[in-house]
Amino acid sequence: MNNKNFSKAKLILRFVLFLLILVWCLGIISNVLISNQAVSAITNPILKKFYGTVCHQIDAKTFSINGHKFFVCARCTGIYLGALIFSTISLFYYPKINLNRKLFYLALSPMALDVLFAWIGLYNYIKFLAFGTGIFFGSIVFIYILAALENYFITRNV
Amino acid sequence: MNQKKILPPLVCGFGAAVLTTVPGIKNIGCCLIVPLASVLSIFLDHKINKTDLPINAKSAIWFGIMTGLFATFFQTFFDLLMTYILHSNDFVQALPQTEAVIRHYKLNALLDQTMSMLRQMSNDITNYGFSAFYAFGILFSNLIVNSIFGLLGGLLGMTFINKRTQI
Repeated sequence: MNNKNFSKAKLILRFVLFLLILVWCLGIISNVLISNQAVSAITNPILKKFYGTVCHQIDAKTFSINGHKFFVCARCTGIYLGALIFSTISLFYYPKINLNRKLFYLALSPMALDVLFAWIGLYNYIKFLAFGTGIFFGSIVFIYILAALENYFITRNV
Repeated sequence: MNQKKILPPLVCGFGAAVLTTVPGIKNIGCCLIVPLASVLSIFLDHKINKTDLPINAKSAIWFGIMTGLFATFFQTFFDLLMTYILHSNDFVQALPQTEAVIRHYKLNALLDQTMSMLRQMSNDITNYGFSAFYAFGILFSNLIVNSIFGLLGGLLGMTFINKRTQI
């Protein structure tokens, strides 16, 4: 594979990933986006069950806009938004980064500490803190996953 | 098929399904339970085979998807078991609220059909503790979500275990 095809393959992979994450994120806020309340009332239990596979969906820990709840909690919203932001950035710019365990621990530790502190009762659950730590974790995890996918689908063909 | 390749995803998939069923644990682990189970299954495979060789992406994808599939199987089983015992679940409990909203609107034929299907599902669960349509729906939904999250966990585990990957 020459350099031009290599870059093109990378871009296609990143674009596909971006689309998938975008669809997933739009699903999370579909409750807010669907203006027809009858349609929304029917799709709600189905989507709630679907997203419920990966999130506790506790009302008090979930963002809402105009009374319409998101289908995942603030932390999960942050994780997916972080991945979406970085997938968008990766379409235009991607720096060379040495991925090692330290970076992963660095991304995980604020979120893990937030979970721990809220769990032991040091402070009450703060949506925006959970959201912020989620964004940081989601963006770093996205880089790891993209690296693995590019190594598998593209680099091995070079 | 090599039993050593099946055992770690089976154990970790089962563990993930149990954790997602136990109230409270899911609040903490949230969307990370299945991916972490995939990472753990790769770790276990490394321990079982006593190897220090880097994991290739093919194995990582295998372990990730298999962990997701086993988690799906057990998660669906637990959900259906609980539904059968209780003759109710969160879907049945939420349906009257949906119906209350819908009564205010005139539905077109498609929405009306969808609503009657949901109602039928709810009636089956209340009367018999089981609805085939619900079982299929939940299996399908778990299958998609857990496979994807398992796969992502597998890839994450590979990058993590192989220590350094330059991109």
